[in-house]
Amino acid sequence: MGEKVIPSSLAEALDFLSTHDCNIVAGGSDIMLQKKNTAGLLPRFDKDVLFISNLRELHYERKEDDSVHIGATMTLEEILDHTITPQVLKDCLSELASSNIRHFATLPGNIANASPAGDTIVVEILLDAMVKLTSKTGSRYVKVEDFVKGVRKIDLHNDELIEEVIYPSNDYDVIKWFKVGSRKAESISKVSFAGAYKIEGGKIKSISIAFGSVFMKAIRSHELEKELIGMSLKELSSSIEEFVSKYSNVISPIDDQRSNKTYRRNVAENIVREFLKEIK
Amino acid sequence: MLAYKSKYPTSTPKVDQEIKVKGEAKYTDDISMPGMLFARSLRSNICRGEIVNVNVPKLPDGYFYVDSKDIKGENVTNIIFSDWPVFAEKKINFFGETIALIVGPDKRVIDQIIKEIVVEYKEETPVFELSQSYIHKSFTKGNLEEAKKKAVKVVEEEYSTGYQEQAYLEPQGMLVYFDEENKLTCIGSMQCPWYVHRAVMRACALNNEQVRVIQPAVGGAFGGKEHYPSLIGAELATALIKIKKPIKMCFERTEDLMFSTKRHPSLSKYIAYIDKDNNILGMDVSVKLNGGAYKGCSGVVLSRALIASANVYRIPSLNVVGDVYMTNTVPTAAFRGFGSPQTIFAMEMFIHHIAKALNIDPLELRMKYLVKKGDITTNSGEFHDPIIMPELIEEAMKMSDYKRKIVEYSKPGCNKGIGMSFFLHGCGFTGNGESDIIKAKVRLNKDENNIVRVYASSVDMGQGNKTTLKRIVAKNLDIPNEQVIFDNPDTSVVPDSGPTAASRTIIIVGFLMEKAAKNLKQIWEDGKKQEIIEPYVGPSYIHWDEEKMQGDAYPSYSWGVNIVEVEFDPISYQIDVKHIWSTYDVGRVVDERIAIGQADGGIIQGIGYGYMENMNCRAGKFVQKSLGDYIVPTSMDVPLMETKFIDNPFIYGANGAKGMGELTLVGGAPAVALAIENAIGVKVNDIPCSPEYIMERIKNGKN
Amino acid sequence: MARINFILNHQALSIDVDPSKRLLDFIRDDMHLSGTKEGCGEGSCGACVVLMDGYSVNSCLIPMANVVGHEIITIDGFKKTEEFKVLSEAFAEEGGSQCGFCTPGMIIASQSLLSHNPHPSEEEIRHALAGNLCRCTGYQAIIHAVQLASKIGGKLWEKK
Repeated sequence: MGEKVIPSSLAEALDFLSTHDCNIVAGGSDIMLQKKNTAGLLPRFDKDVLFISNLRELHYERKEDDSVHIGATMTLEEILDHTITPQVLKDCLSELASSNIRHFATLPGNIANASPAGDTIVVEILLDAMVKLTSKTGSRYVKVEDFVKGVRKIDLHNDELIEEVIYPSNDYDVIKWFKVGSRKAESISKVSFAGAYKIEGGKIKSISIAFGSVFMKAIRSHELEKELIGMSLKELSSSIEEFVSKYSNVISPIDDQRSNKTYRRNVAENIVREFLKEIK
Repeated sequence: MLAYKSKYPTSTPKVDQEIKVKGEAKYTDDISMPGMLFARSLRSNICRGEIVNVNVPKLPDGYFYVDSKDIKGENVTNIIFSDWPVFAEKKINFFGETIALIVGPDKRVIDQIIKEIVVEYKEETPVFELSQSYIHKSFTKGNLEEAKKKAVKVVEEEYSTGYQEQAYLEPQGMLVYFDEENKLTCIGSMQCPWYVHRAVMRACALNNEQVRVIQPAVGGAFGGKEHYPSLIGAELATALIKIKKPIKMCFERTEDLMFSTKRHPSLSKYIAYIDKDNNILGMDVSVKLNGGAYKGCSGVVLSRALIASANVYRIPSLNVVGDVYMTNTVPTAAFRGFGSPQTIFAMEMFIHHIAKALNIDPLELRMKYLVKKGDITTNSGEFHDPIIMPELIEEAMKMSDYKRKIVEYSKPGCNKGIGMSFFLHGCGFTGNGESDIIKAKVRLNKDENNIVRVYASSVDMGQGNKTTLKRIVAKNLDIPNEQVIFDNPDTSVVPDSGPTAASRTIIIVGFLMEKAAKNLKQIWEDGKKQEIIEPYVGPSYIHWDEEKMQGDAYPSYSWGVNIVEVEFDPISYQIDVKHIWSTYDVGRVVDERIAIGQADGGIIQGIGYGYMENMNCRAGKFVQKSLGDYIVPTSMDVPLMETKFIDNPFIYGANGAKGMGELTLVGGAPAVALAIENAIGVKVNDIPCSPEYIMERIKNGKN
Repeated sequence: MARINFILNHQALSIDVDPSKRLLDFIRDDMHLSGTKEGCGEGSCGACVVLMDGYSVNSCLIPMANVVGHEIITIDGFKKTEEFKVLSEAFAEEGGSQCGFCTPGMIIASQSLLSHNPHPSEEEIRHALAGNLCRCTGYQAIIHAVQLASKIGGKLWEKK
């Protein structure tokens, strides 16, 4: 049985992390499920455990230089209710799990869990969001797109925790979120999608397209986005099928207990086709 | 009291409402006893084969291993067909079959012991395809050979339905102990206390008086706790006899999903023979059910499926054939509807597909063949009672604006759809089951204070029969509700009024209650102790030949119409259920609030069965192992529902009431499937009609 | 073991418990309060929800460490309040309970909603209760119960 610590300050938490190999528990909605044991028995933690949900220092959401900084212990429902939260993140959170779960789940929890179906990760990579990773010796900033490396694989050193998530400002004209689950709530995505663009002078000035649940992690194609940038709306409209096909080659959906690869691919294609068609 | 006008002025306050809303109702896992131990199951790791050896490590003090060697009676679970062993002795027939119980005070230690037990098997090739029939039934009506000769057109279709998991909110569980009179007592989540009682007697070689079964609060059942608790009871009772300490076993949700009984998947083939004037002369129907490893109650499920196979239609000639197949999977058993949802789905789709093949209006075709009083039933019996389906249909169409919508939504490019299902449900046990097998009895005891106690084995698992049966008694005795007491059944005091199943509680038990109350009223003497025992006597005009499956299958039928409106999203192939309208004939509603509750809950289960709930079995193992993976509707998936009941009193019903427990589930799947068909313009032959399935059908252009 | 200080049903507690222990197990096994149920143990069914600082949360996924300094109210505590009386009457009138297993959770989730949104729309009610599964009622009676509670007792939640 490992040590289980409830730090009363961030400094205390970082100190513990510097000398222990830990599971970090924020809200617990993902990790308590993973470590679930028979009813009445303690969860099956096999490492030391650090419980950070009570760190008030990390409980904030504020604007700093136009970026939105969300502290690690903000609950998803608090983020959903906050005025400065980007609308697309609100749209995503509104369909995530249920209000019961959102009342205690956190953003770092969703990110660090690194599930291929992790919904907020899709929005984070769409908007180039970053995580601030802090250890006793300092902090570093990593794009969520790079932080999540694969299925349950993250670029987090043993002595680090996610201190905050940063949504930089953007000037997109339109940002869309679309989730395909198995029902309207409490549903792990079969396919998820976020898309954003800005039009200037009848041409695509900037564009970002991200998919979830159709690859080992949420995925964007910077190459395809580069191809789209600079296109006039007329050029775009005659090459939609071409891009649908190209995106289809980027994703790699699988069969599992929720759905199958044919469906996922088909739906992902339909979604991106519709998105591109609606660009004006 | 807070001021508002009650929606249900004639309804009785539910007797158990207060304790439930306060969280004070005691369900099995809420009950503990001093010195109580826990039990967990050692289950097989293979689908088929034999146990060669079980290596049990040395058990710590206070821990026990209980298996078939500890059975004092017969190693068999007493069900309609008793072939399911309590503990697997040598042969293994499905993945997860119980080999033993490990019992002790600490679940952590129990789990560790189970991990350390090594079972050596000799594996055999399991059977998963429907190839080995172990129950076969058939019957005919009219003269199908003649019909075939006259036919100029033949329409043939195949339909399939999947597993459905009851997903009651309270998982399976039971607690056993010796009471103060040394009776082997079971408290558990169940529908049929006397079933558990007899299962324990048989497995433990005990007589009637040595066993006692008490019903606690039950958190939903829907058929899933009709037979399965008999297995749990027999296992735990065996352990109790060995260990002589109270033992509780409550399933984890994963365990419940993976190993408890579910609805039979089905494959049906329907062939219709049509003459030159577009008359349906006859049908060949063949039904295949997946029964899993043991027969259990599957024979009766098959009977009901076959009897319901022509649904509400008067088909002159029939050849109906059905089989239950053995597969090395978890045995399937009861679930609300009990075989009829499978074939009624098929028949409702089929009559629409026939209409399409003949290029005629489906509603016209259905109305033409709709049965009425006096018609011969599917099994050559008679519809003895008035049938008000035309009124139910008219009312439902009016409520929903069906006639306009079906035309509008049928236009190409319209992503909306509307579907209307017709259905019936036979109330009570098939044929002579009530008079020959169940022989229900109820008892009323009045004390010196004129308090009347009702004794019956009916279990209130949410459907409100504690309230409705009390109400029937109070009304017929002309005394206030508060003067009638209906405690949860305890087999040491209640007679066997039969299982809480087969939509029989109001129509049979309620009718007995009415009779008993009327009889008591006749002899009522204030201040005196009095008792009435009322045994079941069925309508004398009901005749049934079980062997040939001919005659009156049920004493009566309840009827319904469901209309479902959907919207289809061509991007994700998802279906949004927008509105539901229903009309029902259940004789006469006993309590409106309770009846609406049954209507609402039933149709959502039926609709879930039709388009959302998916349970796959791969290589003998269920794939969906959590409530996150086995999807049932949430509050956001369910639209507004409108329901109307139309009176059609049944002469042998309490105040005219018939059964409704299962009726309200039966029509949901065909209604939503027909709506989807209407929306996507492509035939639907299989449920659950998931988005993946819809995509498949559209791409393959199944027209 | 850790010293956990929190408030349970208006009573201040200071107890030594394994911080990873599920709040649900503490409530049911240590405090013997059986009104909060376990339906799935994975946060899907909502039968285990309790109020944490007034918000409904799945106690089957909350470790005891996370209740430090917070106020937890279970159905056993909530049933003594005026708000409960209104909800209870509304549920009784509309038929919001059948088997009753989901009911304590539904009541808690309804309280969580109404205390932050005293007059929710039908859509908002459905959204707030989406994490509470019911297999018996088809939800309609429950939605109507919350609407009725809001109508007849709205003032109770408005001032807060």
